[in-house]
Amino acid sequence: MSKDSQMRAAINQKLIEMGERERLKELLRAKLVECGWKDQLKAHCKDVIREKGLEHVTVEDLVTDVTPKGRALVPDSVKKELLQRIRAFLAQHATL
Amino acid sequence: MKMEDMPLSGPDNTKLEALVHDIYSELVEDACLGLCFEVHRAVKQGYFFLDETDQESMKEFEIVDQPGVDIFGQVYNQWKNKECECPNCKRLIAASRFAPHLEKCLGMGRNSSRIANRRLASNNNMSKSESDQEDNDDLNDNDWSYGAEKKAKKRKSDKNQNSPRRSKSLKHKNGELGSSISTEPYKYNYSTGISYESLGPDEVRSLLSTQCGVISEHTKKMCTRSQRCPQHTDEQRRAVRVFLLGPSAPPLPDTDPVVESDSFDIPDGQTLMSRLQWEDSPDISPADSASSKTSTNHSDSRKPKKKKRTSLSLNSGGGGGGGGGGVGVSLTGGCSSGSSSQSNISLSTKKKRPKLTGPSISSIYDDLN
Repeated sequence: MSKDSQMRAAINQKLIEMGERERLKELLRAKLVECGWKDQLKAHCKDVIREKGLEHVTVEDLVTDVTPKGRALVPDSVKKELLQRIRAFLAQHATL
Repeated sequence: MKMEDMPLSGPDNTKLEALVHDIYSELVEDACLGLCFEVHRAVKQGYFFLDETDQESMKEFEIVDQPGVDIFGQVYNQWKNKECECPNCKRLIAASRFAPHLEKCLGMGRNSSRIANRRLASNNNMSKSESDQEDNDDLNDNDWSYGAEKKAKKRKSDKNQNSPRRSKSLKHKNGELGSSISTEPYKYNYSTGISYESLGPDEVRSLLSTQCGVISEHTKKMCTRSQRCPQHTDEQRRAVRVFLLGPSAPPLPDTDPVVESDSFDIPDGQTLMSRLQWEDSPDISPADSASSKTSTNHSDSRKPKKKKRTSLSLNSGGGGGGGGGGVGVSLTGGCSSGSSSQSNISLSTKKKRPKLTGPSISSIYDDLN
């Protein structure tokens, strides 16, 4: 399996080197804002904060609370598009 | 660790898919983490809850999401079908047309005055042309039809009806003629001729002093253009004057350059000129007074000769023509008009004309300086 991990590492490296990762990240962020995912999650954060108290909120609290919800809330269209782009990138560059 | 060594094959596909999904998950987690950091910072810095107020205001300004209504809860075409009663004319007017209607109804605002003036003008013209039709029948010997001419000219006169230019040009002509003459034929016959048969000798004389006056063979009308009109020569003008006023007719203000006087003395001319320049002419039209002083002086100098000669009012139009050009141009124009004015003093100012121009030029320069 080291080959696998090697492959992964290589691909990741390529992603970063070519700037594709940044591009993908920006694309995802923009799409999430557009579809209202960010506002939804923020509202959820507000509840958490009110629950926990304004002064005692920590990053870890938020992270553990928000991340699974966030992952679930991503709309399908956004997910599909992103997967498509990643696949395209790999197809283009994995066989080089 | 070269990528070239990794072929894409069937069993690898699942791995690849897994890889793709992993990459995707990483990206999403990055996004979530970014949001958490942002929120945490906002909380700690204290601006996280800034967009919230008390519960009541929140309820009041909540976003509305109903059909037929915008997010503020307002209906879009609410005033479209409403009608309002005009306080002036008591009519029911549609709401969107209410403001323009009020403007016209009350007679206030920019457009309404313009339209009203235009309507008045067209009414006046129509009524006037109809009333004058009978009066001018005598004048119309020939095919030229007054009414048709009026209609053709109507638009042009409409355009200028209320502009200051129109009254100015009218004043110009009136000032020169003196008030005794009726200017009725003038108003409507600007660019056409006048029939000499209908005018008395005084009228004819004043007409001839300002206008070309040459009688056209076709229409038997006098030319209404200026004394310097290019269509007719001075000979023709003299002939007309002789014809209309008899052999003792007064000379044209613009005589031929050939006509000069033997007996005219230069020093006399100069003193005369200087004397004349100080006399005021009440008849000076606005156009003349607007021109340079030099030419005004020259037209001034014309006036007194009227007393010397006959009762013919002198042509300040010629002087105006000389003065109409700029100062530089008027020098040459002024020269000739100056010399011709001097020739007016005694009709026989013949040979000394070249010398006359000398003193007149110097006097012009003096004036300028």
